[in-house]
Amino acid sequence: MFSRSDNRHSSAAKAAPFAVDRRDLDGRTSVVSVSGELDLSTAPQLKWALVDALEQGHACLVVDLSHTSFMDSTALGVLVGVNRSLAAGSRLAVVCHSAALLRIFELSGMDGAFAIHPTLEAALAAEAPAPRVAEAG
Amino acid sequence: MPGRPRKPVPGALVALTLLCCAASPALAPAAARGAHEKSAAAAQGAQSAPPPGEAQPPAPATESSPAPGGASPAGAAPAATPAHQHAHAGGEAHDPAQARRAPGAEAQRAGTGAGAGAGAGAGGQASRGAGGQASTGAGAQAGGGGQRDARHDARTHRDQSGAQAAPSAATSAGASAQAQAPSADTRGGSTGEHTTRHREKEREKKEAKAAEKESRGKGGGGEAPGEGEAEEASPEAPIATPAPAPALSAAVPIAPASASSAAAAAGPAPAQPGTVTPPAVVASSASAVRTRHRPRAASGRRGRPGAAGPRAALAAALAPAALAADGAHARSQERLPGAARPRGRERVSPLARTITRIVDVVPPAVRLVIAALLALALALAARSRMAAVRARRLERQRGQLLEDVGLLQAALLPVAPAQLGEVLTSAAYEPAAGPGAGGDFYDLFALEDGRLAVIVGDVSGHGRQALPHTALVRFTLRAYLEAGLSPRDAVQTAGAVLERQLAGVFATVLAATYDPARRLLTYASAGHPPPLVLAAGGDAGSPEQVTICAAPPIGIGMRTGTRQTVLSLPGRALLCFYTDGVTEARVGSDLFGRERLVEELEALGPEAAAGELLDAVAARADARPDDMAACVLSLRGGGAVAEVRGEELELDREEAASPRTERFLRACGLSAQEAAEAMRLAAGAAGRAGTVVLELRYEQGRPMLELRRQQLAFLDPARIEAKALRGDAAAARGAAGVAR
Repeated sequence: MFSRSDNRHSSAAKAAPFAVDRRDLDGRTSVVSVSGELDLSTAPQLKWALVDALEQGHACLVVDLSHTSFMDSTALGVLVGVNRSLAAGSRLAVVCHSAALLRIFELSGMDGAFAIHPTLEAALAAEAPAPRVAEAG
Repeated sequence: MPGRPRKPVPGALVALTLLCCAASPALAPAAARGAHEKSAAAAQGAQSAPPPGEAQPPAPATESSPAPGGASPAGAAPAATPAHQHAHAGGEAHDPAQARRAPGAEAQRAGTGAGAGAGAGAGGQASRGAGGQASTGAGAQAGGGGQRDARHDARTHRDQSGAQAAPSAATSAGASAQAQAPSADTRGGSTGEHTTRHREKEREKKEAKAAEKESRGKGGGGEAPGEGEAEEASPEAPIATPAPAPALSAAVPIAPASASSAAAAAGPAPAQPGTVTPPAVVASSASAVRTRHRPRAASGRRGRPGAAGPRAALAAALAPAALAADGAHARSQERLPGAARPRGRERVSPLARTITRIVDVVPPAVRLVIAALLALALALAARSRMAAVRARRLERQRGQLLEDVGLLQAALLPVAPAQLGEVLTSAAYEPAAGPGAGGDFYDLFALEDGRLAVIVGDVSGHGRQALPHTALVRFTLRAYLEAGLSPRDAVQTAGAVLERQLAGVFATVLAATYDPARRLLTYASAGHPPPLVLAAGGDAGSPEQVTICAAPPIGIGMRTGTRQTVLSLPGRALLCFYTDGVTEARVGSDLFGRERLVEELEALGPEAAAGELLDAVAARADARPDDMAACVLSLRGGGAVAEVRGEELELDREEAASPRTERFLRACGLSAQEAAEAMRLAAGAAGRAGTVVLELRYEQGRPMLELRRQQLAFLDPARIEAKALRGDAAAARGAAGVAR
């Protein structure tokens, strides 16, 4: 079932070397892009990038996993840890369209922990400072 | 470290050895020789110092005892031996040569311990010489031959004793007198005239004792020497006293005399063994034997005297004691036939002699070097000994630690029973080769009501730090399962309870129960992959598992234990619970994945065991960055049971409206319309602060939805409060919107 797509996807995007790139869009929003494989050995770099961004006062962190070929539970741990350390009013959003990665988020129940958007634009739009109107029940 | 405090020891050792070595040049010779000197001084200076005199009595005793039997034959050359003895005693010389100057030696001896000297000097006739019983003794031995000699001896003895005139002389004289008395007896026996002598001797003995006592009492009194002979002795004494040396020289000339007397004694001596009544003989022989002994040594091997020296030295060393015991000694010797002591002394002596010689020969510089080397050797020996002890201790500690680790590991990774009821069970754990090791855990046990419980989990973080949390999570979950909570309730409660204790660490867990009676598998996950269910018939027979809306891990600050799945497994089936280390093993650059795991499990057949499965995975994977743990339940086919399938999802009001929930409902088989309706109902049922449980059950393939309200108040008041406030705000906004 899902495992088939897992393997196909992870093998499709395996070439990219690992890199973490951080862009500060403004004083509030920072985008951290990860390419390559996020695992036990590379996850700490993502962690430090996110922690740095938080320490510099960015309240909205967007983790772009569009170019991430592989992610294991260690990377999930990093996202969970950062998410926990967010001060009130800060947010963590993830950009991910890979079915394999989405599957990991879903299986681990993390898809409820932070907002996951298919594209960076969607994420930025959703996390824009403009208050969302709560849909009344 | 524990060894450190001991370090002083080698130092102390070294110091000690150094001291010993430094002292040895002085000591070694002195010990042996010094002893001689002492005794010599004593002997020569007997005049001045009483103790030396006494030192000898023991010596004679020793000599006598060794050869009570042999004494008689030895007696052949009595004169010589004593000479040695004396020589040594005199300490004049280790020098055998000097020793050989038996006569002089005798003289000395005589000088030293009047008694000893007497015995020795007198040779066989010692008795006479000693007490000045010379006359008597002389007579006795003279029986053999040279009475004159005997007398000579006696005289010599006189001289000697006179030389010793000193108080000690008196005592020793007494002693010797005693000793000799018996000897005289024996000899008397052998000779003929001795019967009379005997009596005389006995009298003399008594007298000697008395004299001894007297002299002791007087201490300083020189009169002591002999009872009757005192007269004889006394005259000579004055002469000798003034010049100890002269005494020596005087003795020298006598030597021949003694020798001859010895020869004379030789006659009687052989007879002794037969004649002698054991104790008496020995005792008596004390003096006689001594003398005889000597001769042999003297005539035969001159070297022997050297041995005598140390003996004398010993005796000298023992002087104080000997002094006191002196008389007693003599007496006791009479009584004790074998006198073992002497032998011991003889054994010691060659060693001492050898050492003395060696030390004498070695130049001081070399001695220093030797001492240093010795110290070094000792230090090294001590050090290696300490190292060995430490190594042994460490080895012991290591064993204990390994044992402890084994116990800990057993606590975290229990040995699964091979079978629980109808179910074949197995569990296995394969630590990662790299730094990722640690953190996986499992448990497999039977519940009271006959159900099986399985727990599999993975605590974030690796290595030793993860162990306490691993144990905590595992036992907490187990406790709730044992208490009868459903897997979902157990996970939820554990999540709420452990949130605080995990302190930043999070854990994915899967708790499951299997009811063999109803063939029902119930499991709840918190961020953990669901179990593999391989039912007979392959994919078609395997029930569908909905993974949407999975509950998050324990410890990430979110409510968990929100999902539960119930499956009935009517036929034969394999259940595999595993940790992500298995599916995250790498094959090339791919993940091992759940599909490969299914393949491996199928390949192992219906009675696959967890260990085999992990071995197969390890064999196929190129890398295993994380631990792998697996529990496998092999269910046998059973009778027909009602097919049951159920999914539970607990939602709060906010979640009830999320697209995620919609996806869940659609995955469960609800139409879009049904899903929307369900969501609306759920949101309403959850209320402002509570949650609602959506329970989907399938009957004849049709999903039936049931809503149950559930209050979370007991979990985390703070969070619920915050949620309530948020709900209020939303409600307020909504109201405002409506108002506008």
